[in-house]
Amino acid sequence: MTQIGLSREWVQRNLNTIIPISGLLVLIIALRIANPYFLASWDSVITLVYGMSWFLIAACGLTLVILMGSFDFSVPSVLKLSAMIFAVLYPSLGFFSILVSLIVGLVFGLTNGILLARFNIPSFMATLATSMVAEGLAQVISGGYTRMITDPAFRAISTTMFLGLPSIFYWAILVWLLSIFMTFTTPFGRTIYAIGGNIIGTRLAGINVKKVRILVFMLCSLLASLSGILYAAQIQGAHMQVGVLDMIPLFASVVVGGTALTGGVGGVHRTLLGVLIIRWLDSGLSMVAIDLNVRMIVFGAIAIIMAILTIDRRRIKIMK
Amino acid sequence: MKNNLEKARIGSPVITSTLRLIKGNPAIWAIFGLIMIFSVIVPEKFLSTGNLIAILKNFAVTSMLAVGPTFVILLGSIDVSYMGIWMFGGALVWLLYPYLGLASILIYPIFGLMIGLFNGVIHVKAKIPSFILTLAVTAVFAFLTTYVRNISGVLTLTVPAYNFLRESPIPYLPSPFLLALPVILIALFLMFFTKLGTYLCAIGSNEEGSKLAGINVEKYKILAFTISGLLTGLGSIAIFVHLGCQTRVDFDPSELVRGLAAIVLGGTPLAGGMGGPHRTLLGALVYVLIFNGLFLLPGVDPNHLKLYIGTLLLGAVVVASKALKGALIA
Amino acid sequence: MEGAKPLLEVRNVTKTFDKVVKALDNVSIEVGKNEIVSVVGENGAGKSTFMKIMVGVHQPDSGKMYYMGQEVPFPKNPLDALKRGISIVYQEKGVIPHLKVYQFLFLGLEEKFTKLGRLQLEKIISLARSVFEELGIKCDLVSSMYELPLSTQKMVEIARAILSIKLVVGEESKITPIIILDEPTAPLSIEERDELFSYLLSLKKSNSFIFVSHIIPEVMKFSDSIYVLRDGKLIAHHNVKLEKLSEEQLFKEIVGRESYHEVYAKYESAKIKDIDKRLVVLSIRELTKKGYYENISFDLHEGECIGLFGPAGCGKSEIARSLYGDIVADSGKIIVDNKVLKLKGEPHTRVKAGIGYFSGETGKELLLSWPIRKNISLVNFEKVTKTPLKIISVISFKAEKSLAEKIMNKLRIKAPSVETECYSLSGGNKQKVSVGKWLERSPRIMILEDPTIGIDVGAREDIYEALLEMKKNGISMILVSDDPKEYAILCDRIISIKDGVIQTTYTNEDFRKVIEL
Repeated sequence: MTQIGLSREWVQRNLNTIIPISGLLVLIIALRIANPYFLASWDSVITLVYGMSWFLIAACGLTLVILMGSFDFSVPSVLKLSAMIFAVLYPSLGFFSILVSLIVGLVFGLTNGILLARFNIPSFMATLATSMVAEGLAQVISGGYTRMITDPAFRAISTTMFLGLPSIFYWAILVWLLSIFMTFTTPFGRTIYAIGGNIIGTRLAGINVKKVRILVFMLCSLLASLSGILYAAQIQGAHMQVGVLDMIPLFASVVVGGTALTGGVGGVHRTLLGVLIIRWLDSGLSMVAIDLNVRMIVFGAIAIIMAILTIDRRRIKIMK
Repeated sequence: MKNNLEKARIGSPVITSTLRLIKGNPAIWAIFGLIMIFSVIVPEKFLSTGNLIAILKNFAVTSMLAVGPTFVILLGSIDVSYMGIWMFGGALVWLLYPYLGLASILIYPIFGLMIGLFNGVIHVKAKIPSFILTLAVTAVFAFLTTYVRNISGVLTLTVPAYNFLRESPIPYLPSPFLLALPVILIALFLMFFTKLGTYLCAIGSNEEGSKLAGINVEKYKILAFTISGLLTGLGSIAIFVHLGCQTRVDFDPSELVRGLAAIVLGGTPLAGGMGGPHRTLLGALVYVLIFNGLFLLPGVDPNHLKLYIGTLLLGAVVVASKALKGALIA
Repeated sequence: MEGAKPLLEVRNVTKTFDKVVKALDNVSIEVGKNEIVSVVGENGAGKSTFMKIMVGVHQPDSGKMYYMGQEVPFPKNPLDALKRGISIVYQEKGVIPHLKVYQFLFLGLEEKFTKLGRLQLEKIISLARSVFEELGIKCDLVSSMYELPLSTQKMVEIARAILSIKLVVGEESKITPIIILDEPTAPLSIEERDELFSYLLSLKKSNSFIFVSHIIPEVMKFSDSIYVLRDGKLIAHHNVKLEKLSEEQLFKEIVGRESYHEVYAKYESAKIKDIDKRLVVLSIRELTKKGYYENISFDLHEGECIGLFGPAGCGKSEIARSLYGDIVADSGKIIVDNKVLKLKGEPHTRVKAGIGYFSGETGKELLLSWPIRKNISLVNFEKVTKTPLKIISVISFKAEKSLAEKIMNKLRIKAPSVETECYSLSGGNKQKVSVGKWLERSPRIMILEDPTIGIDVGAREDIYEALLEMKKNGISMILVSDDPKEYAILCDRIISIKDGVIQTTYTNEDFRKVIEL
């Protein structure tokens, strides 16, 4: 009897680990059955890597924000704006345009953080507003046109092959590992979890909550920006459709990994799982010719279901 | 305190209530200011009959997106499912027209009611933050609408049979405005003449206290979401007619922001407890006036609309954030 | 004989929580018609459980209830209680700040004023006006609740309680409402209190009140009879009209004097004798926050503990929280080690300046889903990090673990290991983790707010010992509490505060004489 009780408790406690891992296994088997070419050749692996790498970088940033219990809508827009700045300025500035692009990303993050921490505006509202501004700016600087860059050096930052894999893969893994290292072993990472867990207590413990919040939003936008730059290099340019449909999959991959919307639970290490699931599901569904809109619906539904399952209910008194 | 009471009794009730109205709704100043500014800078364009009718139409559309969700904002929660209701409701009307005939327009309020109820129940029972939940609902139904369009092999989801609704029986008052009017009246009635308005303010102001006062908080929260959905469903008819008896088929976040901006500009704090549909109506008017006037000005590029909307929303939330001081917000 | 049978009587009420904790043990109380009955006791004496049973929030394990001599069952829910004419005004959280006065007055009672779904506002407002005239409340019906003075807010709440009984039972029946008032004076100033009490006395003609409080003078002044609760037991019952009762006697009954002499003796060694020779670590000059406290000035010496003593709402906890930067003072100076601190500083700047803060409100400071280890290192990052590359500091789990173990042993925290989630700890152990965080950090000054609220005696003593050890190591403290004993145990000097103004400064001995401990 106790054995059953124990195991049931264990399942409940580890629900947000069990679901994504078993989901991933089921997904791999299903995709393999549906499409015998799935992961069958090295080329298909590389295609998947291209599909996932830039996405993982942006998702890591978003995870940090969600861990604090906040939300950042501006990730796809900042991603698009950065890609656009990089592509538009590259002909004149060369690789300095990367620097400009990253600085613009940081400015957006700073704005988001200040709006939340100083002006006390709910983060979803603040980032919704800044995302509109970023979209608008992208429109203004590009004039709404697609910018193609044919210079091979431009592409090289993402597509140089090393040990059979493109460089963007190593960028992504590096960002992921650094994020894990930061959240697990540094005081800064620990305070991100603390803010998500109990912001009042964290403030009373003498931690500069405002500073940490602003820094995390800056980090999130910086990663979005980096992701945009690498993506632009990968697709040789930028256009207004970049990032448009990424908010839902990004959000879905963070919560599917097991990071709770209420903050303080989960982590960047889980986001890799979420990204694998969402991107494989995406490519799997498109392989069997499922409409893009339906895929979005599927991701939205998955995200909400996982959000319901992972929320830490012990803590919630009043949910707004 | 006593003095106020005396004054209220002596002064004519119309004047005092007007004064109270202006004092409680700073958006009125903004409306006066905007009208003044644009009347001075671009009088011919701004004050032309055509433009005033356009303002009325846009006011109807913007207020219909925002009036319903205001009831949820009173709670301190947020409801952005209006885009989903508006878009997919229209798709349902289009889908069901061959079977139901003209009655299919009734799908709009029914669909709104169902989505509102769904939002309310999930938010209250599963404790999902309302913003994320309703945003997901909006996204799901918006993409579903595009999907319906795609599989049907048509460009727009238009039901020409309703074109008779576009003719207004009253000159100068466009039909979307007339269709919006009953929704506005219902909202104001619910707010000021039933206990619902009081209860929602009470819950938004102090949830625990409301529970102690014997209010069934969960029930009224669900009710607020349901009413929000219902009013949006009803109001979507006006938007449907305004767009030429068709619904939107592609999701545009700037439309989503429009409703929120109207609420924030009207002065209903996102923290809840205060405000109401009357403020949202004023906020919708401010929003419409700003963008109507803005594009009449020389040198303003309509292609930069998103930039303007974003900046405006940013400014509005910063101004509105005064009401949120003190609390630590996610 | 009408006077013979009390209006309401409960006999031998017992209530146990979690099968072990006896919250109420064989308590019997009588409420007569047009009486003010006081129930007094310390925190945790069982007062609030008693109230909750009276209004149907809890059901007693055993006991009987009599109404005009007839046995009746205990109310099952608040509405049931209303039907019997019992209503409650809660200590806080009862007021809904953004509602208009008439809206609040009728909140939840709108059914009778609704016609076809439409609220009859004219009827509500005219009834509200007549109620206010009858009860003698002067305020504008259309102003918001938060605009009213606190005392008027309380009066409106009381009016609401009476009105709700009348509306539920029916206006025509001649029932005498029984209104339970839970610490109604806690947030009020002295003048406001007097106003409230004269109001209560005027209402006594047609109502009965059960007055729950721990403020002795007002209880003595206005009650017809007084019941003293301690540790869930009824200690004494005084009929104020018949017998002569001194404040001192009542105080002794409330706190239970005997057992405490030993306790004081035990902690006597921690008292410092040479205050004036010691270094001043913290000086406060003319600190003011409008509406809370005014012109607060004092010096805190090394290793000294100062208690800010006064009734709830006198401004003491606001002073403490301003010192820690949790709230912001308007003017004045806070000087630590000859450095003037910014009044606006957030808590983290205060921690840097050497101030620590500990509040007994369980769960406010802790991350309950975190293990003990992580909670402790949250304020001790310097102690548990290494900087291998000089720029990045990395948390060493080993150091974390040994630090947490050290503190667990010292404070006798009962938990399987340092990895135990704080959720699963008992209240006392949670509080120990909370105070233990600061033990190793050793700030220069600790600010303590209700450090032992709501925990059992054993845990209390462990916390006192930890605090006194910190004190011996030269850490200065400022204490704010609701419990006079705590001041007597921990403090060297006690500053008494009334309405936000410093009254007198006592030494520990004088303080104990004054409050008769």
